[in-house]
Amino acid sequence: MSFGQVLVNWLLLGSLYGAVALGFSLVWGIMNIVNLAYGALIIVGAYTAFWLYTDLHIDPYLGIPLTMAVLFIIGWIIQYVVINRVIRAPMLVTFLLTFGLDLLIIDLVQQFFTSDLRSINTAYAGNGIDIGSTHIPLPSLIAAAIAILLTAALNFFLTRTRIGNAILATGMDRDAARLMGISIRHTYALTFAIGAALAGAAGALLSQLYPFDPSEGGTFTLRAFVIVVLGGLGTPWGVIAGGLVFGLAETVFPLIPGVGPGYDDAIAFAVLVLVLIFRPNGLLGKPFYS
Amino acid sequence: MATGTKTQTSPTTQAPPPKPKEGRGWLWSLLLGLLILGLVATVPFVGNAADLHNWTLIIMFAVLAQSWNFIGGFAGYSAFGNVVFFGIGAYTTGLILLANLPFWLGLIAGALVAGLFALLLGLPVLRLRGHYFAIATLGIAEAMREFVTVRDVGGGGGGLISLPLPSLDSYVLFFYAFLGLSLLCLLITVFLTRSRFGYALVAIRESEQAAEALGIPTYWHKVGVFVLSAVPAALAGGLYAYWATGFDPDTVFNVGISVEMVLLTFLGGAGTILGPLIGAIVFEYTSFQFQASGFTLHNTLLGLSIVIVTIFLPQGILRLIQEFARQPAPGERRANPFVEGVRRVRRFIAANGV
Repeated sequence: MSFGQVLVNWLLLGSLYGAVALGFSLVWGIMNIVNLAYGALIIVGAYTAFWLYTDLHIDPYLGIPLTMAVLFIIGWIIQYVVINRVIRAPMLVTFLLTFGLDLLIIDLVQQFFTSDLRSINTAYAGNGIDIGSTHIPLPSLIAAAIAILLTAALNFFLTRTRIGNAILATGMDRDAARLMGISIRHTYALTFAIGAALAGAAGALLSQLYPFDPSEGGTFTLRAFVIVVLGGLGTPWGVIAGGLVFGLAETVFPLIPGVGPGYDDAIAFAVLVLVLIFRPNGLLGKPFYS
Repeated sequence: MATGTKTQTSPTTQAPPPKPKEGRGWLWSLLLGLLILGLVATVPFVGNAADLHNWTLIIMFAVLAQSWNFIGGFAGYSAFGNVVFFGIGAYTTGLILLANLPFWLGLIAGALVAGLFALLLGLPVLRLRGHYFAIATLGIAEAMREFVTVRDVGGGGGGLISLPLPSLDSYVLFFYAFLGLSLLCLLITVFLTRSRFGYALVAIRESEQAAEALGIPTYWHKVGVFVLSAVPAALAGGLYAYWATGFDPDTVFNVGISVEMVLLTFLGGAGTILGPLIGAIVFEYTSFQFQASGFTLHNTLLGLSIVIVTIFLPQGILRLIQEFARQPAPGERRANPFVEGVRRVRRFIAANGV
């Protein structure tokens, strides 16, 4: 494989990973909740896109906004009905609760869609752009572009709109935000809903690139965590940076003699521990919201 | 609550913070624990083979929850990957049995390997706090499962291990072995509530900085309790290995087991003597009843229970009973006992909401 090809693969994978961790970072940064159900929401997004494509024959890219809408509603309900009730409990409680939601959601997805491996294959999935000997697959390119677009949109929303500012303010100081007339209950529900919608978008993108089954949720949660740790909790752009660094680790590690493929989670764990030992606030990170 | 004393607390809207037992509370807890284990010990005489099978697993989960209670309940460190010790114990014992060495050697080797692993793992990860510690421990369990699968440690394809079957009447022996392990964990828990080491752990849970300021070497206490919670889990894993005779990485490194340990401890009451034992019996027994009635969605049940417990019982069954039985504070109007109890429980729940 040429150097150019490795570079292209890395950039495309890294941007995609940024999209995977975007919603996770938002929820963690604003509410100080590590949402262990995030991987399950990605899986729900992937299956929603799959269902829209196979049963309703909607093009997967047109399906992304629909998937995001479905996940937005699910996320709103989860936060408003369940997580809002334990938001002031010790961290261990929210951690346990979101893990419980993860188990519940994955089990339900398995009931509806069985645990078979699924994939979405469109007519144009094999297309690509060739520059010299370097092949750029079209679906990966579109996925990376959408990832960048979502990051920019989230950044714009948080910094330039009143509702976005309210979310940021709530993340900085809950009590001060309440005094300014912001409804914490609704802001949290909205934040979690946006996070879930981003998970849905990530799931819809992933479903067109890789085969998937319900058991993969945990892997995505772990990766999202590592990516956020790498990029820090500061801004949406930090997440893309974290995704690129993590993509690099996943591209380089299997090339080490004696390691070989198949160690995705081990790599994620190794990167996590290495980073946390030397930079407890993440590689590019600052403790922004805390 | 001791009844004779005149000490009275002012009415608070928040649930009282967890505190170590006072007076002779620990003795009653110990006696009650012995009574429960004694009653469970009669299962082989009064129950059939299915009961024995179920109760063996119930007590196994009790041991796992009790061992998690050391690090999670006392030191307050949210270790979410303790299943890794269970799996290491199972695989070490399994490999030793495959090498035709005696079973007891496998158990000891499993405990030693897991203890050493906890020490080496604890040195870096116990420097982390909060979310980072929780995810790091979760990550090691996932990574270990992956490693054992990819390297095919068991030799049966994908890490699978198959062992020679133990003879049928030895299932009773396995049951009593698990029960003995649970008794050992109970005694260790009582020791933790009564010793300097245990006090130091509670101090770390309440405020690590304050504990450090008092001169407690917090780091080494944390490493110590991490190893302490690894060894019973590994012994349970070793017993499970021979009892189940065949297992794969997805079973013994299943992160769901980690979560179950946490749930059982929370359900009963984290940091209490009897909490994990009661939580395990209540949840696992209910779970087996559901299974017997044809409800096979174990993870759905587990997830729903977690949601209910974290919202309505974050302090566990034991503290809920304590709250019901509490003497009314001065100035607190006493309604009829039921209304009063419900009011207290609602206050208990509301403390965590937005």
